[in-house]
Order: sequence, then C-alpha cells, then structure tokens
Amino acid sequence: MNAFQYDALQIKEQARLIRRNIIRLNADSPAGGHTGADLSETDILATLYFRILNAGPERTEDPERDIYIQSKGHGVGGLYCCLAQAGYIPEQWLGTYQHFNSHLPGHPVRQKTPGIELNTGALGHGLPVAVGLALAAKMSGSPKRIYVLTGDGELAEGSNWEAAMAAAKYGLDNLFVIVDKNKLQLAGLTAEIMPLDPLDVKWAAFGFSVSECDGNDVAQLIDSLERMQTRHGAPQVLIAHTIKGKGVSFIEARPEWHHRVPKGDEINAALEELSHGE
Amino acid sequence: MASEHLASVMVEAFMAAVDAGLDVVPVVSDSTSTAKIGPFMQRFPERVINVGIAEQSLVSVAAGLALGGKIAATCNAAPFLISRANEQIKVDVCYNQANVKMFGLNAGTSYGPLASTHHSLDDISVMRGFGNVQIFAPADAIECRQIVDYALRYQGPVYIRLDGKALPDVHGAQYRFVPGQVDVLRQGADLSIVALGSVVHEAVDAAARLAEQGIEAQVINLSSIRPLQRDVLLNVLSGTRGVISVEEHNINGGVGSLVAEVLAEAGLGVPLIRLGIGDGEYAAAGAREPTRALHCIDAAGIVAAATRLR
Repeated sequence: MNAFQYDALQIKEQARLIRRNIIRLNADSPAGGHTGADLSETDILATLYFRILNAGPERTEDPERDIYIQSKGHGVGGLYCCLAQAGYIPEQWLGTYQHFNSHLPGHPVRQKTPGIELNTGALGHGLPVAVGLALAAKMSGSPKRIYVLTGDGELAEGSNWEAAMAAAKYGLDNLFVIVDKNKLQLAGLTAEIMPLDPLDVKWAAFGFSVSECDGNDVAQLIDSLERMQTRHGAPQVLIAHTIKGKGVSFIEARPEWHHRVPKGDEINAALEELSHGE
Repeated sequence: MASEHLASVMVEAFMAAVDAGLDVVPVVSDSTSTAKIGPFMQRFPERVINVGIAEQSLVSVAAGLALGGKIAATCNAAPFLISRANEQIKVDVCYNQANVKMFGLNAGTSYGPLASTHHSLDDISVMRGFGNVQIFAPADAIECRQIVDYALRYQGPVYIRLDGKALPDVHGAQYRFVPGQVDVLRQGADLSIVALGSVVHEAVDAAARLAEQGIEAQVINLSSIRPLQRDVLLNVLSGTRGVISVEEHNINGGVGSLVAEVLAEAGLGVPLIRLGIGDGEYAAAGAREPTRALHCIDAAGIVAAATRLR
C-alpha cells in the first residue's frame, strides 16, 4: 500500500511544491543541473510516490516494497525534490545538490541517498537491471512491482532493446516502464538526432503492452498507471508525453535548458510562476 | 586423478550450492554449451535465465537478480563478457555492489584458432581497474571448486577466470584455497616463477627442467589476484635473485604488472621478466602448444627467460 494514497488534486499540489524546490535546488547547485529534465518528469514522480508505489519513507528496507528506478539518472534533481517532499530525505539536503561529497550527487547513488534504488547516470542501464529485479520477484513469488523511468533520447541505447526482448520472453507483467517523452535531448530534438517514432509500434513489436497519456496530467497518469496494473502476461510500457521544463514558461521546450540552471532574476520569476495551485 | 573441465566443476558447485539452500541463479547468453550447464538445467530448469546473444542484458539482468536477492552467476565466454558488457560490469555490478559472480569461460587463448575476437587477453587488467570486484583464476579442478564455493558465499562482485581445457591437478586433495593467499607450489632458492591459471602447469614443468640444470626455481600460483596479501608475495619474492611472471594474457595490466608494482613499491631491485602476449600484440590464431611456443609462455620459454636472468 502506498504511504499517502493521495487523489489527483493533492498530487498536483505536491508536484507544484516539488517544482518550486527543483528551481531552488538547481539555483543552489555549484555545478549546473538538468532543470528541464527535472521539470518534465515531476508529475510522473509525484503520481508514483504519492499514490502508485507500494512503498513509503518508513519502508526503504522492506523486501516487498515496489522498486522505482530512475534510468534517466541526470533527472535526479527532480527525484531528490520528490523524495524530500515524501519524507525520504530531509528538505535541508536539497541545498547541497552537487556540493562536494554531499548526500545528493549529480546522478543517483544508492549508497549516498535513502530511497535511491540503483546507481545510474550512464544511459540504457535502468531497464535491463529492472528486468533482473522483476525476474527475481517472479522467481521468489513476490508481489512487488518494478517501475523504471527512461528518457526518450536514452532509447537510442541498444541495451534497452536487448532487455525489452528478455522482459517479453519471461512475461514480466510486474515490470512497468514509463518513457518520459519530452522530445528533447542534450543537443536538440530527439526527432532530428535519432528518430524514435513510431515508438508505440516499436514497444508493441517487442512484446510490450503499450499505453500512452499526457505525462504532465496527473489524472491521466493515475488512470493509465492503475489500468496497467490490471493487465497480465506481458511487460507494460507507458509512453508519457511531456514538455521538457514543464511549469515555467521560459524553460519549457527549450533545448538550452537541458543542462542549465536558473540564475539571478530567473529564480524569482520561475518561483512566481509556481506560486499558486489551481 | 583424472582432470576435469573447469566449467563442469563450476556447474557441480552450483548444484551443490542449490542443494545446500543457496539461491543461485545462473544467467547465460545462449552460452549453455560453453558453460556445460546441461546437468544443472536438467535438475533446476526454472533456475537458468537465458537472455539470448545479448551480453549487456546478461550482466544487467544478473545485477537486477542480485539486487532482488538472488546469487546471480553469469556464465559465458570471457572475451564477450569483458568487452561487450564492460559498462554493465562497471556500473550495474561493481558500482552498485551487486552480488554477481561473473565467470569468464574459455579465457586467455582457449579458443585458439578461432582467433582474436575469441581470445581474452585483457580481462585481468580490465577487472583490476574496477575497485571492488574480487578476481580469481584457478589452476586446477580442486582449486576451482573451492574458489566457486567461496565466491557463491561471499557477498559482492566476483570475477573468476576459467581456462577452457581440462587441466591436470597441481594440488593434492588436502589443498585449502584461502582468498588473498600466495600459493607456493614448489620451493626454490634461485629464482621465482609467478603464474596463474592454465600456465601454472608450464611453470611447474619449467621448474622441473631448470632443476635438471641445477637451478632451483620456486613456483607461485597467484590464483587470488584480488584480494592479495602483497606483503606475503613481497616476502616470498625477495628471497630469490630474479622473478619471471607468466600469463596467457597481455603483459600490460595482468599478473606481470601486479608483480612489478609489488616489487617497485617496496624498492626491491629484483630483476623481473614478464612473459605474456607482448605489448601491442595479439595472440596467434592456432592450437595452444605452438601459440604458447610463439609467445614464449610455454615451459621452454620460461626456461629461456631463466637463462637470461643468470
């Protein structure tokens, strides 16, 4: 059971507070940050941590907990802010993102941060390891589910597709892949750098049960993720269509914000845009 | 005692471990015949995961299995494990401290005439570059069984380099493998021969030939690359007037390099000759005997090196 079980309205409010912390966390970073990626994934993370995952801050060692893996490791700033919001880590730690030897390095390190399940950063590793975790759960008769968030640019890594074949072969219906399809990567548009579409057809051809939704719409995320849990016999993928930088007008859909942090007047301007709920 | 293929020894150890209650899950990449794992599959068909010809998936899935509580054991040809899945070994297994046992099968030039894509001459140097993986290479079936038994019970990443041929025994039944040990197989006051894996047998042979010439060589089986009691190795090597290292591996980064580090860091001015596949070279494609002769890593090559040390 999830520790919060929030409804869509409550999750949206958590996502707004997480986004405010994402702005501050990146502004306080001495080494830049991935502000755009942090903001595109926020609604997905909030929906998982405040409703979907059978997990909670008091159960980080429970062997039956659901596992969340951040394959797009560079979006860890967003995950840290979500973990702080959900009580896994102290909120004061957010001011130490990428500071020397702090609890919050620039990519996830499970030995450093409570709630981090897998060290990632090099791309194309989360899904293959998640397949192993899902297999272990199946072999042990454990009901736990494995969730993994990938970027879209990251899907150019061939290791993902090796793992996808294995997931289908072993019928891993306890494996849930969420693609944060924000359409941008380091150097520009994913559609220009390495076209992915038709992505739904690709996953289906690899044996996945495919769902799609607006990945910045909490109600749609809840609906899709809960519907996926009722399907059996095949691994699941949710293609979540998102906007990179979602929530701050001057960051949204701009490639330069892949690795850039708010500075000077931008900080308050961003916080102002995120100052009111709906 | 009849020699036994090391992969078969590995598989017997797996079966005994499962019988003893260990949750061992072998993972293969279409490498069921390479791993000689048929007997295990017959007894425990649900326990073997086969990811197809996909070494990245092999290692990552093993890491996931381990993080999910299993004792995962990858079993495939060493060259494809080390090179194709390098980042998966580094990140998913080592960096995550996953309880994966990686078996590098048919290592060195075991695949002989199949040529360089199938030779594994860099595995020790690559693994030594990753901080937290234990590294072993048994010289015979007796030692192999004890190393596998130890590895399956140790919590953390392990790499075990296995030769692809049945090796005669150099140890007696009373032998007890201890991680980190310096295994002196033969005493000798004149010079030292340090070897690991299948070329230990060449070293033993060379020492016998040297004894006929009145040269007493001690033979050291360095089956435990990490951990290693460096002070013990230093102590053993400091007593002789020269050291020859021999390995079916590139001379860069393997046992020869390790011995050089130990000697140099102690400021010990003992001459060292490193035998192996030379700097900048690939191994010849061919049967083991002429290949070893060409690269001077057979008994004759060791004897010739000993002459140069005089």
